[in-house]
Amino acid sequence: MKKNKYLLLFSSIGVFLLLVYAAASENFFKEWQAIQAEAKSSEGPIDVRLRQIINPSLKTTDRCVSCHVGMAPGETVVSHLRVAAPHKPVVHSPIEMGCTTCHAGQGLATERLDAHGDVDFWPEPMLPAKYAYASCGRCHTPLEVPNTKRLEAAKNTFERLDCYACHRLDGRGGTIRPGGKTGMEGPDLSHTGIKGFNKEWYEGHLAKKQADTSGLWENAFAEIGEGDRALLDQFLGLQMGAPTLIAAKAEYNSVGCAGCHIVGNFGGDTGVDLSQVGEKDPNRLSYINVPGSKTFPNWIAQHFRLPVSTVAGSQMPALGLSGDQIDLLTMYILSLKRRSLPDIWLPKDRVKAMRFGAREFTTDGETIYTAVCSGCHGAGGNGMRYPGLPPYPSITNRDFLELASDEFVFQTIKQGRPGRPMLPWGVRQNGFSDEEIRSVVTYIRALGGIDAVPDEKPARWAGGDGKLGSRLFAANCAGCHGAMGGGGEGPALSNKNLLASATDTFLYETISKGRRGTVMKGFTEPSPVRKSLTGYEIESIVTYLRSMNAK
Amino acid sequence: MTTKPGEKRSRFDPDPMPRRDFLGLSALGAAAAALLFSMFGMLRLPKAAVLTSPSKKFNVSLPDTLPEGEAFVPEGRSVAVFKDTAGVFAISTTCTHLGCVVKPTTQGFECPCHGSRFAKDGVVTKGPAPKALPWLKITESGGTYQVDEEDQVAPGTKI
Amino acid sequence: MSSEAANPSALRGIWDNLKSTPKRMYGSAFRSGSPKTDRTRSSFVFGNVFLHLHSVRTHIWSLKWSTTMGLGIMTTAAFFITLVTGILLMFYYKPYPDVAYQSMKDIHFVVPTGRFIRNIHRWAANLMVVAVILHMARTFFTASYRKPREFNWLVGWGLLVTTLALSFTGYLLPWDQLAYWAITIGANIAQSPREITDALGMTQYLDIGGLQRMILLGSDEVGAEALIRFYLLHVMLLPIVLLLLMAVHFWRIRKDGGIARPDDADELVSTDPKENYPVFTDDPQKTYQLAAVVKGTTPAVGNGPERTLPSMPHLFYAELGVLMLTTLICLALALISDAPLKEIANPMIPENPAKAPWYFLGLQEIVSFSAFTGGIGIPALCWLGLGLIPFLDRERSGSGKWFGGPGGWTLFKWSLLVGFGASVGIEAFAIHFGWLREWFPSIPQLAITFINPGTVLTLIYALFSVWTVRRYNSTRAGAVALFTCFLCGFVVLTVVGTYFRGPNWEFYWSPSDWPGH
Repeated sequence: MKKNKYLLLFSSIGVFLLLVYAAASENFFKEWQAIQAEAKSSEGPIDVRLRQIINPSLKTTDRCVSCHVGMAPGETVVSHLRVAAPHKPVVHSPIEMGCTTCHAGQGLATERLDAHGDVDFWPEPMLPAKYAYASCGRCHTPLEVPNTKRLEAAKNTFERLDCYACHRLDGRGGTIRPGGKTGMEGPDLSHTGIKGFNKEWYEGHLAKKQADTSGLWENAFAEIGEGDRALLDQFLGLQMGAPTLIAAKAEYNSVGCAGCHIVGNFGGDTGVDLSQVGEKDPNRLSYINVPGSKTFPNWIAQHFRLPVSTVAGSQMPALGLSGDQIDLLTMYILSLKRRSLPDIWLPKDRVKAMRFGAREFTTDGETIYTAVCSGCHGAGGNGMRYPGLPPYPSITNRDFLELASDEFVFQTIKQGRPGRPMLPWGVRQNGFSDEEIRSVVTYIRALGGIDAVPDEKPARWAGGDGKLGSRLFAANCAGCHGAMGGGGEGPALSNKNLLASATDTFLYETISKGRRGTVMKGFTEPSPVRKSLTGYEIESIVTYLRSMNAK
Repeated sequence: MTTKPGEKRSRFDPDPMPRRDFLGLSALGAAAAALLFSMFGMLRLPKAAVLTSPSKKFNVSLPDTLPEGEAFVPEGRSVAVFKDTAGVFAISTTCTHLGCVVKPTTQGFECPCHGSRFAKDGVVTKGPAPKALPWLKITESGGTYQVDEEDQVAPGTKI
Repeated sequence: MSSEAANPSALRGIWDNLKSTPKRMYGSAFRSGSPKTDRTRSSFVFGNVFLHLHSVRTHIWSLKWSTTMGLGIMTTAAFFITLVTGILLMFYYKPYPDVAYQSMKDIHFVVPTGRFIRNIHRWAANLMVVAVILHMARTFFTASYRKPREFNWLVGWGLLVTTLALSFTGYLLPWDQLAYWAITIGANIAQSPREITDALGMTQYLDIGGLQRMILLGSDEVGAEALIRFYLLHVMLLPIVLLLLMAVHFWRIRKDGGIARPDDADELVSTDPKENYPVFTDDPQKTYQLAAVVKGTTPAVGNGPERTLPSMPHLFYAELGVLMLTTLICLALALISDAPLKEIANPMIPENPAKAPWYFLGLQEIVSFSAFTGGIGIPALCWLGLGLIPFLDRERSGSGKWFGGPGGWTLFKWSLLVGFGASVGIEAFAIHFGWLREWFPSIPQLAITFINPGTVLTLIYALFSVWTVRRYNSTRAGAVALFTCFLCGFVVLTVVGTYFRGPNWEFYWSPSDWPGH
């Protein structure tokens, strides 16, 4: 019966050896142990132990500082080790907020792959460094962000007027101080958007300039025009220490995404609600047609390039964006996290956006147009034609703008076209106020550069014969506008909102003169392919259109 | 003891248990009854009288542009709400097979767990699901709809 | 206070007593002295409450590796490994949704040796399931369930259920996606009697399925209540049940005369006169137990001199050897492969595919045809059948021998062929051609409940078994055929469920063909 003794002997030796191996790897060969053993503070070696930052109310437990030991509370590591370097100064100290709050990743983990979240089954891998500011969006909602054009203008004004001479902004400027004194003359403006700023700063500056005898203010400050002041105010309202995030949001407000997508409490609902889209789990996305890395940022970027190949059946057209634009929009998408926070962590901007419906874009006509309308009607208002979608009409067409009264355009924006992509922008949840819509109308007029031709006639004057109109409609119009006027290649005409706000003159003139630059030709004009219509016949068609309304 | 006096018995051949030991039987019976009753009492405990799960009735506001036949799934609920020309209706998205959450598709519903498929009206078309997805009661008041996940209605009921 | 001076000799006595205390302590614990002779070894065994579960001498047949392959001890060893590691894990584990997941992460990343301990726990649990199934197969194929061991077969039958229940309840505790959806499916299998009551239209009066699910989950969804219930079952109720059953199981082994062996075992084992000599008289008429007052004979009565060895140390070398071997296997596996932990449980997004623990995937495979038949009907049938084996087969020939009884090896091989052939065939058919619902979409549910691949397979096995009973005119032959077939079916279904089922429970040759990833 020696077999059993051998069995016991060899099994036990095996168990012992495995335990020795396990003990060694458990106690001596952890990655963070090696890093901490190598990192030194100015007083010599540091304690080798697990370190962590816990913030119970944000529900973070971040052990990242076991490797990134220079960022641990109370550590002053001086070392060539990059991994152990201290954090650069930022508005929210990592000691207070933890690491994953901004960088994502798996804070509970203590090994590189797991901690960085580059493993299956961790829904939040670390954000690439260039997108790190997207995490501001977890808590903050930048409000009243203009479009890129205006943001650039504001930035340039700040630069041109040399505010940097006295003020510091995002770590730049504020260096000049005459007389060799230390410290800054003007306050740091990096967070004026969050902390607020004196709305009467201009008057204050002027008063100081007048009172000054040393010559300092006299030379440093000059009068500023009203337009520049407005831009500066706007610029100051946007400063939250995250300029790239503001630029990203400005881009979102420049290409008309809100026409189809909801963020927070505003936007069109044709597309996907994007309010929390930044929280998508990268492990649940399909990467079949996504070239490049299998990461969420890359997935979004590829999606912007070619939506339908990334998401099968997507209705979203390819917008033809440049690489820089895609980069900014990707950043913005990543910032849409809006996680629920304990009340004490809720910043003012988020409360305003969440509870009081504050606008996330400025409400001048231009920004509203670029943020909401330009996706479909084009940046220049010339309409858009995307493969597979009905054509979106030009709204800066000369013939249209001349005929359409401001009231007509106003009502169209406010009431929309039921059943068509044009949403009732004035009567939906958190929709536009009349004032906002009027500013858009003004902007559209400015974009087209054409005023309405005043119309002396009453709204309804067309006579004619409805039956004749019906026949003529079937022969001439139904091809593009649909047999029942339901729309096709051309817009829907049986739409009750259109018929309610369009005057007879509008309809009559459009039919008789057509719209230059579109397939809609004037029907009174002679044509080799069809008979031109008489005034009476056109009136009949208008009458027929009106009778559609009755149906 | 029912041993007759004078009768000698071996200690290897003990008394048979008396058949009519009334006292002993009733004592044992009482003990058994008491223990049995206590066991029933203990079995009563694990079945909760009220459940901790939140109310199964909830309000839905449908988006303005919900295309006909497209499902609207309220956040955190296993219900799909539809709108068509005949009205609004709600279908449960809990698979009748083993309770997975089915996914609304263009053809109907798909269950990821064991591959059951359902038609647009919830009828089983494929897989192991034993019965159709139930239609749920939905009522309207002032533009919002109220769905009751516990109240099933006959398929085809629309409002 | 005594006015007299303290007695110097009594004081010295205390000192002397103190000095001799260790020796006396040892002596009082092990009265028979060190186990050097057969006599002291014997008293060492029966003088020790833990060792006394063993008989003093063990038959050489029982010590042969081929007799038991150490599977019972391996199961026990795996259980004790899970017990120790499980208690260690309880230091950190918190049974509350989300918090549970965090504590798993803590165990994984910062608890000293936490990940290692959890891996060992997981592998030992898996090993225990494998070992207990193999142990059952060993007992069956060596026909060791027969009189007087019928009751112990039943106890083992209970131990198998308890082991599976322990594994299943442990599955929910990490509170990850895998756990959550496996338990959702498990709980709905418990609810599947509704398939019958619904079809009969009596669910509203008698809802057995709903009640079972409600008791299991403590709520109508898998949540905090379910987690604490599973925790209670996993760390308290089921281990107690298991320990009680184990105690009975071991005690009965001894009372039933040790490991079953053939009648001619004495002639079959090699005889080494140095190690092997009779201790009893040639034909003992009684053995000295309570037999003095209890009528009847113990199994030792009537048996002649046996080829036995002292249990101390021969049996204990074997038992300790298997214990250490089991530990070695668990440690090696724990170092090679981490126990899985997926994303935190999300009740709104089902795992696709949602797979139960591997030993339930065979079940899940037939569940994918019909919830009631697969989840309750067929398992219950197998269960009853297993329990009835020792009462239906009361033949004597072949006891204690591998594949003993009529038919022997040949029958076993044919049964393997039928078992694998039928299950692979039915699976291939159902995967390729679909089943009733695909052909007749409006077929009533009851028809599918009673006619599905699971029931057809069961029927084929049953018919084959009936045929064997007639062919060999032996109940044992029928039992071998049926048991082997069901074992094959279990293996085939488990393999299909584990390796060949992907999203939507569709068939895929390999996970790399799965769509989406």
